[in-house]
Amino acid sequence: MSFLIAQSIINGVILGTLYLMMAIGFTLAFGVMRIVNFAHGEFYMIGAFLALIGVNWLGLPFPLALALTAALAILLGALVERIVFRPFRADELSGMIASLGLAMILQHAALIIFGPDPQSFPALVSGVYRLGDLIVPQSRALTLGVGVVILLAFYVFLMHTRMGRALRALVQDQEVAAIYGVRLEIMYPLGLGLGVALAAVAGGLMAPLFGVSPFIGATPLLKAFIVVILGGLGSIPGAALAAILLGLIESLTSSFVSASAADIVTFALVVVVLLIRPAGLLGRGEA
Amino acid sequence: MPSDLSIRELTVNYGPVRALHGVSFDVPEGQIAALVGSNGAGKSTVLKAICGLVEPVEGTITVGGEAVAPKPGAALRLGVALSPEGRRLFGRLTVEENLMMGAYTVSDRRARREMLERVYGYFPRLQERKRQAAGSLSGGEQQMCAIGRALMAQPRVLLLDEPSLGIAPIIVAELGRIIEQISRGLGMTVLLVEQNAQMALSLAATGIVLETGSVKLTGTGHELLASPEIRAAYLGH
Ligand SMILES: Nc1ncnc2c1ncn2[C@@H]1O[C@H](COP(=O)(O)OP(=O)(O)OP(=O)(O)O)[C@@H](O)[C@H]1O
Ligand SMILES: [Mg+2]
Repeated sequence: MSFLIAQSIINGVILGTLYLMMAIGFTLAFGVMRIVNFAHGEFYMIGAFLALIGVNWLGLPFPLALALTAALAILLGALVERIVFRPFRADELSGMIASLGLAMILQHAALIIFGPDPQSFPALVSGVYRLGDLIVPQSRALTLGVGVVILLAFYVFLMHTRMGRALRALVQDQEVAAIYGVRLEIMYPLGLGLGVALAAVAGGLMAPLFGVSPFIGATPLLKAFIVVILGGLGSIPGAALAAILLGLIESLTSSFVSASAADIVTFALVVVVLLIRPAGLLGRGEA
Repeated sequence: MPSDLSIRELTVNYGPVRALHGVSFDVPEGQIAALVGSNGAGKSTVLKAICGLVEPVEGTITVGGEAVAPKPGAALRLGVALSPEGRRLFGRLTVEENLMMGAYTVSDRRARREMLERVYGYFPRLQERKRQAAGSLSGGEQQMCAIGRALMAQPRVLLLDEPSLGIAPIIVAELGRIIEQISRGLGMTVLLVEQNAQMALSLAATGIVLETGSVKLTGTGHELLASPEIRAAYLGH
């Protein structure tokens, strides 16, 4: 029993890491550009396919495939900002609709290229770590480790570099940031590119565990939504808390009750949090 | 006295509404100029036009003889920094991060550190609260932080939009003294926009009175303070 609990907790934390990687990019796009990016989940899907191509077709080592995925995703994000979102900069609703269209285009493009069937991703490492009674598959430990390192690196970038600070300032007041020399034409593509890269790397990282198909983007998008709402829009500590909480609840409920119960509990939690704290767990009144 | 900032025939519209009708004035180098006028006279619009936040229909703005393009960031490159109306700090960033945002384009590390120390010298309370979120400061402290942020850009011309707004009179007097110190100590040109005409004109070498989008009067601070017209309209005498 305690073994099963420990196992579910580890799985929950892995899920939480994934959700947080998704949520940060989603909330960054909203904060910087005021765009609710419905295509965000598709970048997760694209990341998974890019990693698959790198590992399966090109025979690259996984870390290199992941790094290339991140680099390509930043470029893709910047391109999407330029082509899809920039024309709607002053018009949030149209930007949102454009992102829906983009999501469809990306998903169907993947469907045309790769077909609807799930593709299997080769296991990166096999074997397990044993900690007393506890058995942790090495592949899960690796995913968790890499995910946490990427999140920490991103946190340091955001909190302790000049550009990270400028991004946070931009979220608060674009005009004032601009008169102090922050260049929007650079920061917008950068912000979206980084968010897209986080989603794509999450996709690549999770591919060995969860598989790859054109349809895998929908769930991570939904989870990013929930994390951002639960944590409080724009609050990164709130998002981290909400992501881990969500991952744990899902994992524990599906281990001990059932997978469909996990969804019910999740949405019940969202409703309760919104009733008690409409701005989210750590959110403030204003966006 | 050469002028550092010159505004010529500045005309600005908000949609169909004309906010400025051909405003012209000069701010002499190294001095404090006060731009005063009542609610809605167009004072903030002048500052927004200088910083490229609104695009003029007509008119030119020059700093040290160079024309300022109507784009955000253009004035900064010529050495103009604004402390905006209502302070507009980055509320979730710390006090020190706000100050560093002022120095965003200053690449010289030493210059940044020196100015930071100066700002903390002018406003010791900011140093005490440097790790606190700027949004949690009192109104007076926020104003100090906003002025400090503008100073961090190492400007030759400092634009201050209503530093006295919503601040206790005793702090207003303190701010006034510090603004004077800054102008003297750093040889900085200051354009001080105020509804509080008494405070602004008593600090200023030059005063400009704006009324419904046009310059109504200019003169030295003392002349304007003494003028019966001004006393009646803006000082409540
Ligand atoms: N964004 C805007 N859209 C439309 N009209 C505006 C806008 N900003 C200002 N105005 C109008 O332009 C005129 C000048 O406004 P401005 O803010 O420059 O006045 P002000 O002198 O700074 O006043 P205050 O002392 O109240 O700050 C006013 O009539 C105001 O209603
Ligand atoms: Mg004003």
